[in-house]
Amino acid sequence: MSGFADDRQMGGFKDFYQFSAPTRVIAGRDLLGSAGFEFAKEGARRILLVTDAGIRATGLVERVVDGVTDGGLEVAAIFDAVPQDSDGDVVARIAALAGETGVDSFLALGGGSVMDSAKVANLLFTHGGAARDWEGFYGLPRADGGAGRPLELAPLACIPTTAGTGSEVSFAAVIKDRGAQLKYQIGDHALIPRLAILDPASTATLPPAIAAATGMDAMAHAIEGYVSRDWNAHADACALHALRLIGANLERAVHEPGDEAARGNMLIAAALAIAPTSCGAIGIAHSLSHAVGACFGVPHGVANAIHLPVVIEFNAAGGEDVAARYRDVSELLGLPGAGEVGPMLAEHVRSLVRSLGLPTRLSQVGVVEAGIPLLVQGAIGDACTLVNPREATAEDLAELYRRAL
Amino acid sequence: MPYFEDEQEVYRYLGQLFLDLLADEELAPKFRTANTIVQYRYHNPDSQITVKLIEAEEGQVDLGPTRLEPEVVMTMDADTAHRFWLGKVNVTVALARGQMKAKGPVAKILRLVPLTKPVFPRYRAQLEAAGRSDLAEV
Repeated sequence: MSGFADDRQMGGFKDFYQFSAPTRVIAGRDLLGSAGFEFAKEGARRILLVTDAGIRATGLVERVVDGVTDGGLEVAAIFDAVPQDSDGDVVARIAALAGETGVDSFLALGGGSVMDSAKVANLLFTHGGAARDWEGFYGLPRADGGAGRPLELAPLACIPTTAGTGSEVSFAAVIKDRGAQLKYQIGDHALIPRLAILDPASTATLPPAIAAATGMDAMAHAIEGYVSRDWNAHADACALHALRLIGANLERAVHEPGDEAARGNMLIAAALAIAPTSCGAIGIAHSLSHAVGACFGVPHGVANAIHLPVVIEFNAAGGEDVAARYRDVSELLGLPGAGEVGPMLAEHVRSLVRSLGLPTRLSQVGVVEAGIPLLVQGAIGDACTLVNPREATAEDLAELYRRAL
Repeated sequence: MPYFEDEQEVYRYLGQLFLDLLADEELAPKFRTANTIVQYRYHNPDSQITVKLIEAEEGQVDLGPTRLEPEVVMTMDADTAHRFWLGKVNVTVALARGQMKAKGPVAKILRLVPLTKPVFPRYRAQLEAAGRSDLAEV
């Protein structure tokens, strides 16, 4: 590791950080059959299973339902209409179904949109209101007039069917406002799922393109989290091991879908890589990606794959301290130590993106130059922009979009 | 012991800062890009400042009761607000610790945070000019 890493992790001491990872994670093979046995330990008895039509078509839902009932639990209802980018209407429908069917818990089986929908539906089911009412961070009801422990939601278990978002262990949910063409976030400790089941059987039918895009999302979480202004030692440990796993497993998981170990390790990598984000450590690749997702419907992982290299170049040129953090990443990914780290690491990421068969330019996914002013408005107000290691102005963000175009 | 004795002191110093910002020909247009109405609800002492930041419209600052309907509500101790304008508060940390609570489309306000940096010395100078250097020492 570079000298800076030593300074950062050993010599430096932050004024404040908090790290919380309360989700019970079980990882391994043949776990879907014990979903009920495990979820019962979290207090679940009568479950609403949340998923999407694509997952339903794979036969995975039946396997999970069998696993739930084998554990003595009841699946009271199944909601299988979560779209790619969930919205306030969808989560309201899920919450209403939960109320009508008298469930006491939620089980999300799907990717980021499914898991985030289940989180927010659980919030509406417990505390009422509309999704947009809860926009923001750390605003959920707490005991003792708002100063105490967050009031608990119903138990939520997640079985991710993609390896990328990390929503199965995170405190946040992203919901789309279709009218306003933006995505907003709700984040608080109470949203963190009680249980995450990481079984490669749940990603066995994942199309390679989605495995690639979601894997790049995990990589963006780990790299942006590690170099973020809001880094912390606990999250660093998670991010760096996530990067080791991603470096060793992502291409195998995409190109050899039968490689169960690679897919399993990618599930673990995604759950580790999100740790910095749950502490607020992230950066502007995500700000740029949230905006193109909201305005042009670009899948989040694809957008991150496109933006990550230009952001690495921008940040690494911002000062030796930031460049040194990228050198840690570069070294961990096995790149040579000599040379300017920004261009070298950025090119490594671009090469990886190409090898995964993903687009490398925004123009390939429908983004047009005329849209940049609107995109910048979205990105500049994104919470991720505040914690980027190098301050980014509106002009900087516009230039990054142009470079990525 | 809070920095401000009563709500009038909050308005005299923090309120005046908002009034000055919205009268500034260079800064005001940048702050109005937020395109929202934000209300700052302070405790210790209880007080409230509501700021209209709408593009192509005159800015407005209401100290105390208001007819403006806020879209974003930021709640915090007046001490936290005071320390923020002196450049002593990391917003993301304050949110994480619950020292600041944000409700509504927070992104509209977060985009203004980088713009506040040049305001920190202005607030300090304002306090010193008012003979309250004691408040600038935090």
